[in-house]
Amino acid sequence: MGLLAIGTPLDWPEAKEKASHVRKWGIEQLLAIWNNAKGKERDALLWGDEIEYLVVNFDDEQKEVKLSLRQADILEALASDPELLKQGGGVPDLARGPAKGGKTAPVFHPEFGRFMLEATPGAPWGIGFKDLLAVEGDMRWRREIAKQHMEANEFPITLTTFPRLGDRKSITPYYPPSGSKLRSQFLPDEIANPHIRFPTLAANIRARRGRKVELNVPVFHDEKTAKPFKDPTVDYDLHNWPEDDDVRNGAAKDDSIYMDAMAFGMGSCCLQITFQAKNIDEGRTMYDQLSPLGPILLALTAATPIYKGFLADTDVRWNQISGAVDDRTPEELGEKPLKNDRWRIPKSRYASNSTYIAQDPRLRSEYLDPDLVVDEEHKARLIEGGMDERLATHFAHLFIRDPIVVFSEDLEELDLNKADHFENLQSTNWQHMRFKPPPVGSDIGWRVEVRPMEIQITDFENAAFSVFVVLITRAILTFNLNFYLPIPRTTENMETAHRRDAVLNDKFHFRKDPLPRRSSSRAATTNGSTSAPPSTTGTPTPSRPSTPFGPVEDEYELMTVNEIINGQDSPGGFPGLIPLVEMYLDSLNVDVETRCELAQYLALIRGRADGSLWTAARWIRHFVRGHAKYEGDSVVNEEVSYDLVKAAERVTIHEARDGFGKEMFGRTRMQRNGVVG
Amino acid sequence: MKLILSTSNIMGAGSSVRRSVGSKSNAEFVSSLRSNLDEHSSPEQTNGITNGNGAATPAKLHYKSWTKQSSDGTELHIPNPDASSSGLEEEREQYDITLKLFYLPGGSTDSASRTSQTREAIELVLKELGVPSVDLLIVSFPGIYFDEQEDCPTKISTRGPVEAEPEGIDSIIESWKAVESLREEGLVNKLGVAEFGAERLAMFLEGTTRRPMVNQINLRDCCSVPRDLLTLAKEKGVELLVHNDCSNILPRGTLRELLGPGPDGAGVLAPSSKAGDKRKSLHGEANKNGTNGEVALSGEVQPQWVVKYTAVVKNRGIVENKGYFACAELEG
Repeated sequence: MGLLAIGTPLDWPEAKEKASHVRKWGIEQLLAIWNNAKGKERDALLWGDEIEYLVVNFDDEQKEVKLSLRQADILEALASDPELLKQGGGVPDLARGPAKGGKTAPVFHPEFGRFMLEATPGAPWGIGFKDLLAVEGDMRWRREIAKQHMEANEFPITLTTFPRLGDRKSITPYYPPSGSKLRSQFLPDEIANPHIRFPTLAANIRARRGRKVELNVPVFHDEKTAKPFKDPTVDYDLHNWPEDDDVRNGAAKDDSIYMDAMAFGMGSCCLQITFQAKNIDEGRTMYDQLSPLGPILLALTAATPIYKGFLADTDVRWNQISGAVDDRTPEELGEKPLKNDRWRIPKSRYASNSTYIAQDPRLRSEYLDPDLVVDEEHKARLIEGGMDERLATHFAHLFIRDPIVVFSEDLEELDLNKADHFENLQSTNWQHMRFKPPPVGSDIGWRVEVRPMEIQITDFENAAFSVFVVLITRAILTFNLNFYLPIPRTTENMETAHRRDAVLNDKFHFRKDPLPRRSSSRAATTNGSTSAPPSTTGTPTPSRPSTPFGPVEDEYELMTVNEIINGQDSPGGFPGLIPLVEMYLDSLNVDVETRCELAQYLALIRGRADGSLWTAARWIRHFVRGHAKYEGDSVVNEEVSYDLVKAAERVTIHEARDGFGKEMFGRTRMQRNGVVG
Repeated sequence: MKLILSTSNIMGAGSSVRRSVGSKSNAEFVSSLRSNLDEHSSPEQTNGITNGNGAATPAKLHYKSWTKQSSDGTELHIPNPDASSSGLEEEREQYDITLKLFYLPGGSTDSASRTSQTREAIELVLKELGVPSVDLLIVSFPGIYFDEQEDCPTKISTRGPVEAEPEGIDSIIESWKAVESLREEGLVNKLGVAEFGAERLAMFLEGTTRRPMVNQINLRDCCSVPRDLLTLAKEKGVELLVHNDCSNILPRGTLRELLGPGPDGAGVLAPSSKAGDKRKSLHGEANKNGTNGEVALSGEVQPQWVVKYTAVVKNRGIVENKGYFACAELEG
């Protein structure tokens, strides 16, 4: 969750007064990093995954499940486990053992929610097949270690959201809602990590907005759901804070589940993957090429059909997080004429990304976002400092935001050997892809983070999606694939991905032909960006003929997720991401065991895409609607919630080998142990 | 005369990728070879348009203008080797270079021929990639198909036309000795075989002093390896790798079509003298349109071998260079 510097955070509006100061220094730090690292070359593929857990507390006698707010105790226990430290694991913020050769134990991190935990591998993964096959076991190991440092009745579950978060009771220990930081009528301030950074983040976002954040998720209208549905949990008579007026001013919309705090979004669990690129150019290419895949990955991993005790009519978490950290003012939102603010801003700081950054001849200006807001002053400074226009535009776009958490101690002297001010803006721009410069003073290279995926219930699924994304990146670079799509289409696709069963029923804009043309000149024998000679200017040498472009609209069409993942049957149709990955694998020396393990992962994704296997969202919705205590009124009551989280625990442990949850896994998982021989 | 065909690097070449994505045959090889021949034999190549733009078949360039014959007249390179080919981008150690050599049905099988075939294939690749040696050479013998234990209906289609009985184990062992001598010369680091079931592998191991490091099997659809093969491979330290190649990668008919006078051919070969009446009636026209009125090579082609090469950047998992060479004898 970014930097955890200790200091005195400024309240809003003091922080606001320091905003341009922080941005200016952030730009200078970025330039220093860029000048230092732009020539970095030939870094290996290293990558890492991040798994986020909800810590739940079961009371099996009362049949109750609550969120456990014991994050700090659990991290403390992890950080003081000598055995874990000896193996190189631990909690980097508290204590960590020395890195060691061989198998390094995983490390754990705090997250925004005090009921959350994040775990990452102790050392980054490489591209070797031994590493790809070790991911799942490592994820399992992480969960076991986490579990060992919890109470017997606690469990680290990987549901994206807790089904009844915000019901004013399902937390332990109990705290009453309506605290001074969040001012939520549903959640206490204690729901957030107590580190000063987190409550400040929540409070300043609210203060900057001028009201609480406002989430209205469409409710799933079941047989007995009232029409219109008016969220029965909203309290219109609360008078503790000025923000309590929000609901009296219409913040809670009809037919919606209403939520009013950052924790409703930032308390969601995601699956994120970060890759190290060979050099800055490859990183920029990866960023661009993975961007159109984001909404597809989101729809495929859909796992969020419940909010605050109600079935939602959407399947994914994305927009809720987006709304939960949306700090835009009424002027920036376009609700009021611009007076004090500098511009209208079309997207939240948590949103699908709005830039392409590669210096790639395939990137047509028509693909760029026509509504992109850029701080021209910062852009000019970056260009003056030597950065090319495209990358300068990207960062000058991120830097239209205010820093939210500003520590007064950091504003005394500009330190160009640090990245704190740059990271302040960079790490609070939560776009679905993130382009990450090398950390100062490290040997780490340019990196790209893939952020759209929802966490899956089992380690098997999380490993499958992680490995799939890794293989896709290799196929992109090997075959020089082109997924460029106008950015507004990706933005639309992100919305489409929210629809219930979008993976089955909806269509997404996607590029028809991702394959490079075979050049008719001898230059065809060189291989685009992957084999372009390292160049000091950072410009890859194109090997394609300058064929005249047709209309952009002819380059893409609406496709189902199944077509995108598994390919179109028609001659010359879209080849499909899985067939491309398989073709990549066919070019390598893969041993039997590895190939069959990878085949399990690919079969899972193939099945999710063609509908033969269910997404977690579909399975959870089905579970609730089929529950004896569900009354057909969209309400996920406490008993259903308990059974659901118990069911998720069962699936986590057995991965459908006992037949339970087989709709999500099918035969692939059940037969798994008998694969080879 | 010996014909040596090449695809050059097919990575980044969209058309060959397109035709072979998800396919279970030799489509990658044949389509990449076809597009490389098209590209060189079509006169429009200089302005960047390779497709025919009218109803009529576009005239092909005379084969002599884009192929290269050795000075003694015994070899014809199709197309002319690319002198500007820069080889690999990074240092040799960065790569894992694998060759798979397919000895084709109907090719010469005696030990001396196999030695020279193998040496020739390796040397062509070394030159193409600009490297002194390769990491792994897998040899594939004609007519041998690995069969999975379980019912695997899609499997049969990956074989390609069966044009040969399985090569006998004695002949395989003799050839292996020839290949082994090249390893001793340092051209190859490791050797492997393809498609050996447990029984054949056991016989093979009995007859050889130098065991293969690798046995490559086609396992795409049904992940079920017979236990006896697993056990034997483990016991003898033979790594089982997976492939998705078709063993009969270049049937005679396919090669004839690729090089022939027809609309999809490169116009290197004249119409077959053994062709039926129907074909004969087209003779004059094809010769005129296909080769600008000049005579193409005549005779029967007999494919000898195909070599596939792959150079992977080890620490990034990127396939930087991949391609094929094929060799055929032109007789008559």
